[in-house]
Amino acid sequence: MENKAKKSRLRGFWSGMKINKQVYFLLLPGMAWYVIFAYIPIMGLSLAFKTYKAKLGIFGSPWVGLLNYEYVFRDPAFIASLFRTLWINAGRFICEFPVPILLALAINEVRIGRSKKIIQSIFTFPHFLSWIVVSSIMINVLSHNGLVNSFIRLWGGEAVNFLGTQGYFQPLVYITSIWKTAGWTAIIYMASIAGIDQEQYEAAEIDGASRMQRILHVTLPGIRNTAIVMLILQVGFIMTTGFEQIFNLSNPATIKVAETLDMYIYRVTFQSASDFSFSASISLFKSLINFLLLLGADRLAKLMGGEGLF
Amino acid sequence: MIGTSKTKTLQRRTMRNRFQLMDTILLAILLLWTLVIILPFINVLAASFSTPKEYMDSPLMLFPANPTLENYKTLFQDGRIWTGYRTTLTILVLGVPLNMFLSTSVAYALSRPAYPLQKFFLYAILFTMLFNGGIVPLYLLMLELKLTNKIWSVILAYGVNNFYMIIMRSYFLTIPDSLLESARLDGANEWRILAQIVLPLSMPIIATMILFYSVDRWNEWFNAMIFIRKNNMIPLQLVLRNMVLEASAEKTMMASHSAMAQSTFSTGIKMGAVIVTIAPIMCVFPFLQRYFVKGIMIGAIKA
Repeated sequence: MENKAKKSRLRGFWSGMKINKQVYFLLLPGMAWYVIFAYIPIMGLSLAFKTYKAKLGIFGSPWVGLLNYEYVFRDPAFIASLFRTLWINAGRFICEFPVPILLALAINEVRIGRSKKIIQSIFTFPHFLSWIVVSSIMINVLSHNGLVNSFIRLWGGEAVNFLGTQGYFQPLVYITSIWKTAGWTAIIYMASIAGIDQEQYEAAEIDGASRMQRILHVTLPGIRNTAIVMLILQVGFIMTTGFEQIFNLSNPATIKVAETLDMYIYRVTFQSASDFSFSASISLFKSLINFLLLLGADRLAKLMGGEGLF
Repeated sequence: MIGTSKTKTLQRRTMRNRFQLMDTILLAILLLWTLVIILPFINVLAASFSTPKEYMDSPLMLFPANPTLENYKTLFQDGRIWTGYRTTLTILVLGVPLNMFLSTSVAYALSRPAYPLQKFFLYAILFTMLFNGGIVPLYLLMLELKLTNKIWSVILAYGVNNFYMIIMRSYFLTIPDSLLESARLDGANEWRILAQIVLPLSMPIIATMILFYSVDRWNEWFNAMIFIRKNNMIPLQLVLRNMVLEASAEKTMMASHSAMAQSTFSTGIKMGAVIVTIAPIMCVFPFLQRYFVKGIMIGAIKA
């Protein structure tokens, strides 16, 4: 009986494939791309347990077990870059996370009619620029003769070397990041505010809720799920912390405090005598931790009653 | 009777006053934020049109009194900008059609009613959003495919953006199957249905995705920095990086004021390079603006 059911299910599977033959043709080019440019690199991380020989290629190189990791965890620069990445990201949670929510609430609450659209456009524009462009603009604004220092001098202060001082690097990262992305993220929150049932506001108004109370008890709970999704996504970047930003904002004067995990991988892979299996073992470590944190954050969000990602 | 209506108007008036105060504060915050975003752009624009003397004399400059095209002349005579434009346009013209071809076919296939292995393909794709190999194996792959120092390495490395693909899929899911069924009965194959029925019905999302991919291609530089080491083949963003960031990195090391004064003229040229790099984005931005809120709304729900 059971065998028969299995057989008919299998037959259903094959006939299903036959009927949908053309859909598989549709998938073919795309899946070929995923296999070559996503899955082969993922399998290429097996290099973490090999020693790379250019002649033998990724998959022909000999296995060496955990040898690479012994070197990795003995490198003080690696440990320092790991903790620096986590430290910068902890700051991101505190400094960068709330700004888009506040902006979205402000745009939503203020009654300015049509100018709202213009303000939204201005806020989102920097999101569409590369970090190279944003860093170039920041260098102009923050340099010795730049806009900010000119203001400071106008008020009788001394010019500050914002770009070349190690102590200013981390605030610089947060501020430029907010400048570039807060407006864009605010739009995502606004989309979620727009999805809140209008009746809830009316009911709150009839109950005599003040404007502040409506924000606290209707709007904020309404965007809670979006905020959780954004938090989970940020957890997914906890080991990366914006290579493009830090690579372009740092300079020889600040490189010491700017070497995050990705900067470290870039340096040992492409700037010195490269040992690709060493780099691959760090990449694998990074991707694995990221993956586990992402799943963990998702599970946590669900435990707290949110929707989560998957 | 009269008393209650009086208290009501009184209540309303105090409420309105409070609203106005809060509105003023919020408006002030939003205006300040707008200025913080706009002023750096105006300053860059002004610097690119100013003479070195004027730039030195009025550092708070937002509008040059005697605008000059001298900086742009020097910039275009230098030639590197042209190289950058040529490379970036090549990547864009070859890359965006590839992006669109791969993304639409996958998104459409995944939006069909259930068929064997559909879930498997979907999860295999979603997995690459959570776990990826990173740049090191990708670079070695390009080495083995003999694609380094070729424009194709940059074009092929960015094929499908998973977020965009999911947005397209959710759009295709809203097309009623009955529309496609009649074509299928007439014997049209799925590629033809995609090209002749689905795409014409999905023009808004297709246009949006072309713009999104074009902006991504325009802003692309990291893969090119890793894969392409020839100076006559680098994209515009890297040209800008070479001109502005690497030159400035040397400058910040020299803190002396005289060194600053000497190098000020180059500021105008550099800022001209910034303007030339962002000008095309500024031109397509109004069109982007029209669709992107809808796009991210779907994306935010699905993400």
